[in-house]
Order: sequence, then C-alpha cells, then structure tokens
Amino acid sequence: MAQARAEQQPATGTTLIVLVGLSIAFLLFMAFLNVVKSGNILNESNLLYAALIFYAGAGALYLGFGVTATESYIKFASLATWAGLVANTGAVAHRWYEAGHPPFASVYEMLLSFVWTLAALTLIAEKRYGVKVIGTVTMPVAIVGVVLMQLLRTEVHPLVPALQSTWLHVHVTLAMLAYAACALSFALAMMFLIQDKMKTESFLAATSVFTLGIYASILTRFEKWGGLSVIAWDAENKSEVFLAKNVRLFVTIPELGWMMLLVFAAVATPLVLYVMSRVKKNEGFLDVANRAIFISILLQILALVFFLLRARDGSYPSLDAEGLYPTNLAASPFILSALVGGIFANLLYLLLLWRREDLERHLPDADALDRITYKTICIAFPLLTLMIAAGAYWANRAWGSYWNWDPKEVWAAITWLVYALYLHMRITRGWRGRRAAYFAILGFAVVMFTFFGVTYLLNGLHSYA
Amino acid sequence: MALSLRSASRKTWQTLSSIKTGVILIILVVIFSIAGTVILQRPMTDPDDMERAYSPAMLRLLDATGLTDVFHTYWFIALLVLVSLCIVAASIQRFPNSWRYFARPYKSPDESFRKNLPTQAQIPITGDEQGLSAAERAFKHLHLKTERIVRTDSFSLFSERNRISEMAVYIVHASLLLIFLGYGVVDAFYGWRGFLVLSPGTASNQIEMKNGATRTLPFSIRCDGTGEETYTDGTPKRWWSKLAVVDNGREIQRKEIVVNDPLVYQGVRFYQASWGRTGKLDQLILSAKPAGDTTRAPQEISLALNQTVALDPDTSVQLAEFIPDYVVQDGHVYARSNDVVHPAVHMIVTSKKANRSVNVWLPEIPDIAENASSPYVFEPKDLKTGVFTGLQVSHEPGQWSVWAGVVLMAIGLTFVFYVAHVRFWVVPVLDGRGQLALWVGGTANRNRDAFEQKFRRLVEQIQKELKPAAVAPAQTQATTTTAGR
Repeated sequence: MAQARAEQQPATGTTLIVLVGLSIAFLLFMAFLNVVKSGNILNESNLLYAALIFYAGAGALYLGFGVTATESYIKFASLATWAGLVANTGAVAHRWYEAGHPPFASVYEMLLSFVWTLAALTLIAEKRYGVKVIGTVTMPVAIVGVVLMQLLRTEVHPLVPALQSTWLHVHVTLAMLAYAACALSFALAMMFLIQDKMKTESFLAATSVFTLGIYASILTRFEKWGGLSVIAWDAENKSEVFLAKNVRLFVTIPELGWMMLLVFAAVATPLVLYVMSRVKKNEGFLDVANRAIFISILLQILALVFFLLRARDGSYPSLDAEGLYPTNLAASPFILSALVGGIFANLLYLLLLWRREDLERHLPDADALDRITYKTICIAFPLLTLMIAAGAYWANRAWGSYWNWDPKEVWAAITWLVYALYLHMRITRGWRGRRAAYFAILGFAVVMFTFFGVTYLLNGLHSYA
Repeated sequence: MALSLRSASRKTWQTLSSIKTGVILIILVVIFSIAGTVILQRPMTDPDDMERAYSPAMLRLLDATGLTDVFHTYWFIALLVLVSLCIVAASIQRFPNSWRYFARPYKSPDESFRKNLPTQAQIPITGDEQGLSAAERAFKHLHLKTERIVRTDSFSLFSERNRISEMAVYIVHASLLLIFLGYGVVDAFYGWRGFLVLSPGTASNQIEMKNGATRTLPFSIRCDGTGEETYTDGTPKRWWSKLAVVDNGREIQRKEIVVNDPLVYQGVRFYQASWGRTGKLDQLILSAKPAGDTTRAPQEISLALNQTVALDPDTSVQLAEFIPDYVVQDGHVYARSNDVVHPAVHMIVTSKKANRSVNVWLPEIPDIAENASSPYVFEPKDLKTGVFTGLQVSHEPGQWSVWAGVVLMAIGLTFVFYVAHVRFWVVPVLDGRGQLALWVGGTANRNRDAFEQKFRRLVEQIQKELKPAAVAPAQTQATTTTAGR
C-alpha cells in the first residue's frame, strides 16, 4: 500500500528523506519504549525489529530513487541497508549463540539467513556492479521476509539427530548463496527485459500468469463447501500436528476457499482482457485490464487480511479427525508468502506501468544487464553444484546413501540441469538477450519451486525444510 | 550397402554429438524427473497409499509404463546412458580442435589474423627493438610472462595465461561421466543396501536386503550396547550404538556410532538409522515376601525370561512368560501388540518338598492366576524391556568415483567460469602511412570485460614505457576495437 501511495505522488527533493527519517525516528522511539519496558536491549526480536525499520527505510528510499531519480536518495538508502544489515547480523549471531548451531534448521531460521544474504548481495550489486535500483526489488522482499519472521517466530528448536552435522550447515549455506544469486539473476533479467523495450502489456500478462499460478496452487487446498484447508498447529509444542509419520493433520477454514476463488477470478480478468486485446487487436481492452489489475490488487489485499484474521488463531474442524483443532499462521508459511508475493509482484507491475521512463533512464543499458545476468549465473551454477554435492555427502552420512531420488533432490538436479542448458545455449549457441533472459527467469521459477513448491506440494525426506 | 551403412553410422554419430540432441535429451530427463516427483513412487510409498491415490485402472497403467518407479525403469536408465553417450560423442567431436589449440599455441599472427582480431591497437615506435623491449617491460609490469618469437624474417612477442582453460569444459564433462560411472554402473551392479537389527549382546552377519532377501557378510557385527538420549520435551537428541567387528572369531574394530557418523569395515558401512524397544523383557525386578509372615523382610530378586531363582532352600521361582500388551479372552491371555503398554508376567513358584507348582500372574488375572495359594507374595518394582538398534547397512563402492567426479567438477567449473585463457601478441609492423608501429592484439575466451580492461592497461603501459624515447603523445592513437559480443 505504501508503495502505491509513493508512486502516485512522487516526493521531490528532500521531502522523502525527511519523511523517511521522521518515520524511522518514530519507530526507533517506539522500539526504545519497548526496550525500556523489557529492560533488555540486545535481544533477537529487538535486533530484528531494528533491521525491519532500516530495511523499510531503505526500501522507501530505493523506491524514491526509482521514481524521482534523486541521486542523494541512493546514498541514504545504502546507509539504511548497511544499518539494517548490521542489526540483521546481530540477530543472526544472537540466534546462533542461543541455539548453538548456525541458523538454518527451521523455516524461520532460513528466512533469517536468506534476508541477511539478500541485503549483503544488494550492497554488493550496488557497489561493485553499479546496479543502483536493485534495492527497489530486493528490499521489499527483505521486508516481507522480516515480517514473515515475526509471524513465524519460534523458540530455539532442538535438532533431531539427522540434522546434527556440519555438512548440513555447509549444504544450507551453499543453498542460500546459490538461491540468492539466482534471485539476483532473475531481477537482472527482468530489468534487461525492461531495457530491451519489451512491451508493458507483456509484463501485465506475465504478472497475471504468475499471480494466477499462486492462487491456483492455493486452491489445491480448496475443500467442499468453500473451505480452505490449512495445517493444524499444536501451540504447546510449537509444531505441526501429525496423524502419522509425514502425514499432517489439515483443518478446514470455512468460507476462505470461496474468497480465494473470487480472487482467482479477479486475477484472471486482466489476463483474459489481455488475450482479448491480442485477439481483437484492440488497445482499449488494455486500459480496462490495467484497471482490473488495480481491483485485483485490492481483492488480493482483502484476501490476505481475511487469511491473517482467520488463520492467525482459532479452531476449525478437520475432515480426517473428529473435533476442532487449532491452527496458526506459523503452520501456513507458504500460503502466507504466496499471498504476499502475489501482491508484491502486482505492485511492481504498477511501478512499471506508471514510471517506465524513469526506470529506463536509471537502469544500466541492456547489454550490460545481459552480461551481468550471465555473470550472476556463472556464480550461481558452481554454488548449485557444490550445494548438491554437500547435500549428497551429508545424505551419505545420515541415511547411508548419497542419492535417494527424493523429490527435493530430483528438483535440485532439475534446477541444475536448467541452468546447465542455459550455459550451453549461451556458450555454444550464442544465445543472448531476450532468449537468455527468459531462460534466467525460467531458472529462477524452478528454484522457487524447489524451495517452496516441493515442500508444500510434494512429500519426501526433506520434511524439515 | 557398405557405403550406406557407413553413412548411417556417420549420421548417427553426427546426431549424437550435436548440441541439439544433448539439449533434447536433457529436456526429456527433466520432464521424466518431474513426472517422478509428481506421481507417487513405489519405493517410497505405502502400497495402501498408492491405491488410495489412484484408481485401479490408472494404477495398472502407471505400473505398466513404469511411471510409479521412474528412476529405476529401463527407459529412464537408457535415457541417462544416451545422455552419457551424447556427452562422450560431443566431447570427442570437439576435442581435436581444442587439443590443437592447446598443444600448438598460435604464437606469431599472420596478416589476415591481425586484420580480423577484434581487440587490437597500434602504437607508433621508432625502432623494432626499442618497441619490443618497451612492450616486454610493460608485460613484466603487469605480471605477464612473454616469449620472443624469432622467425627468419621477423620477430615478435607472445604472451599467454591459463591455456588449460581451453580444456576446462572437458574436465567438467569427464567429471559428469565419473559420477554416472560411480552411481549408475559401479553402484548399480556392485552396490547394495540392507538393514540389520541388533539388541545389546547379540551379533549377526545376516543383512536383510531391501527386496526381502538375506545377505551374509564374511564378518559379523556385535552390539555391545545402545541407547537414546532425549531433549527435555521428549524428542530424540542422540542415538548411539557400541559396535564391534568380529572377523574369524577375532575382534577387529570397535566404534561407538551415532547418526551422521557410521562404522566402516571392508567398504561396508553401518549407519545408526533407528532405535527402539523390542517389547521383550530384559529384566524384571521384584520384591518377594513370604505369605502371611510379616516379620521377615522382603527380598529383592531380578528375573530374566525362563530364569529360575531360589527364594529359600525349598522354594524357587521361574519367569515363564512376559506379555507386553496383554488382553484376556475366554480364559486365555493373549498379546495384543509388541508395545510395552499393558505388561503382564507369568511366574511359576515351585516348592520341592510339597512337589507343587503355582501359577502366579502379575497383575493378578482372575480365573487364571493362583496368586492366593502362592507361598510368596510378589510386588513388581521395575521392568526393564529390551532395546534394539536399527542399522542401515550399505556397500557403495561407486561413491569414490562420485566424490572424485564432484571434486573434478568443482575444479573444472572454476576453470570454466573464472579462469580465462588470455593471449597477447606484439608485432612490429608498418602502419597505413608506412611508418613503423607496434601492433598489439589480444583475445580471451571468456570474461571479455575484464580482458578489455587489461588490454587497455597494457597498451597504456607500453606507451608509458615508450615515453622516455620521446614519442609525441598526439601520435599515440591507440585504436582499440571490440566486436560486439
């Protein structure tokens, strides 16, 4: 929402900096009050809160730069990112110290590390490669990450025997680095497409397809009579409820399924209008489509609010067992991130729709973006290779076999193959420009599926992450 | 006929070694792999779950096509074999060219090469020797080694770095083949996996294989103890087993294994995989008090199954049965499960003099137990049930090939992505106006940005080295050109 406002009224000169400064000061003051109350300044939640404040400030400033091209914003934005990174490092260190193992064991801890990597990479991309607006994309992701973490906050969980291995840490660190590099290559490929004069309506179609995919996968949990099933949550043990080994108990939240179906239709509308404009060759449909996007964003936000309200807590019936069972947002991290991700993608489209010329002016030229995309993949690919190797080595020590054809393993291999194809096409066939950018985007989509989709949709040995 | 055969084989070869075939094969591997993760797979799923998920007709179809076990079907394996062949063919096809490049570096560029090289510059000089020695100093300044190429009618400079990078892609492909060899050939034919369950004090050399068969090892494994440590909330923290290898009656090796730290002997690995209670009795601790006699203190006895303990010179007690989860039906005691939830014990108390045996049950089971007529009253104190350790046993001789492949691939990829083969040539020439100039050219097989920067620095450095010889800077128009890549 804040982004949409910022786009409508681009603040000029120092106004934005003053505004951001004031809100940071206000938030810090609130945090200070909190600290006085609890009497403990350097705990994890305060550090995370500080990181959130700074990332939010940085995000606003990056966005301000994207919109108004005021150079001084960038300086302050990097400064805020640095401050956020310091606070984030503190939170990571605190978690590490408290848990006695590096923070990679749960979804919460992985997000903590992921956000850290993302912030660090943003600064590197900015300083080393001069891709200044990258923060416009990465900072909102970091903000979403930190907000998710607040919802998912868990106690330090003891590690089951299989996870007590140095190789696990090596494996997960490499995975985080590789995935962050893939994310970066995706963002760069998108920027390339903007600079390559790809039509704005093509982005409209892509955004709609992406969001449609999100709601389609959420609707796989659609139950009879319009319910939506989510995993039951055991508040006492802070864990999901299992009926048997690897069989989770689902509860059905009534009416939420209808809501998701409605949003699905709202999201499909712009896509249908886009297709009609292509078929009938009538540009008029596109204007309607852009308006429909606006409505779909509002509905998506509504869906998110409803989801937050109903899934935050409360008890619901289950189809597999009698009685009411409680659930919690912590039990549905994937639905939550999908909802937030959809909104975020649509807001980015709005940014493009309204501020395309400004964006084009401040992005590096298409050739440079193409090259940097390739370079990022050159970094990601060896990391992916080593990640798979470390995972295999660990599996060999924990389960007695280095390759089990487990869905997560297979998808990691698929990711590797997709990027291998990219490299072959680029090196031997000289694929440049658009085709290479599409490939980089496809690669990242596969990465996202491996990271989220496999855990959410497919079962396997990797049940803890 | 022979000709057509030859042309057919040539055609096959060409198809196999083309990048297009490789790409299509990889796409097929990807598609079938996806199918293998979306469709439930036999080896990992309960048969009941399979039947619940698919209709009988669907399941028959999936089973018939092998889609319920994609990764072990002959056509998937054939596909991987084809990919390997494709890699081999493509490498062989391209290798001679690269090898020529590698073995016989192109050191003195001819005129047409000089003309077509994308990155080049010309620097005016006053004499061949002066120019070349300035260039040599410039190379040295940039930490590049140079070589003077002396031909009958000319001499020039050549400098290169990381020639091995031309071979890097073959290193990567070879490493992939090593991995395939280790997993798909060595382990597929000579590797095996099984399971071994041991309780403390027992030894075995019989491994239960995945397919239900039994494999006999040439040595046996003895378990000297096993245990579980839990966190305060009851989730397992650590499982351990003290194992010993016994070969030919001699103890060879001892190790306490935990999850993530196996025992290895003769290439066979023993992993801590599971841990649990057997539901069998290990030891029963009882207090026994003579019936009706309150003056004598109760004595504490411990019993194992079928063990007989004397209570006094005349009376003894034997532990006859242990039922972990008992249920009484029609005057008989049955075991409902092997979990120790409702344990019952059956003891026989014998008096020699009276030549009488009494069946004592704990807890007392009506109509069956004769506890009332027993000379002793028993009270259970502690029940120690047996534990077992589940060991995953595997023999994967191919893994060394896999790890070697992984290391080789890491090295290869480092060279492929980060080490560029950079070459520079310096030749004194006459420029367009007939004046003496130093032609400087260079190429890099990757990372052109960094290379071009380096090239510019080199040209600047040569100009700087030439300065003392008083060359007007206006004349030093170094024309650096780059082809669009």
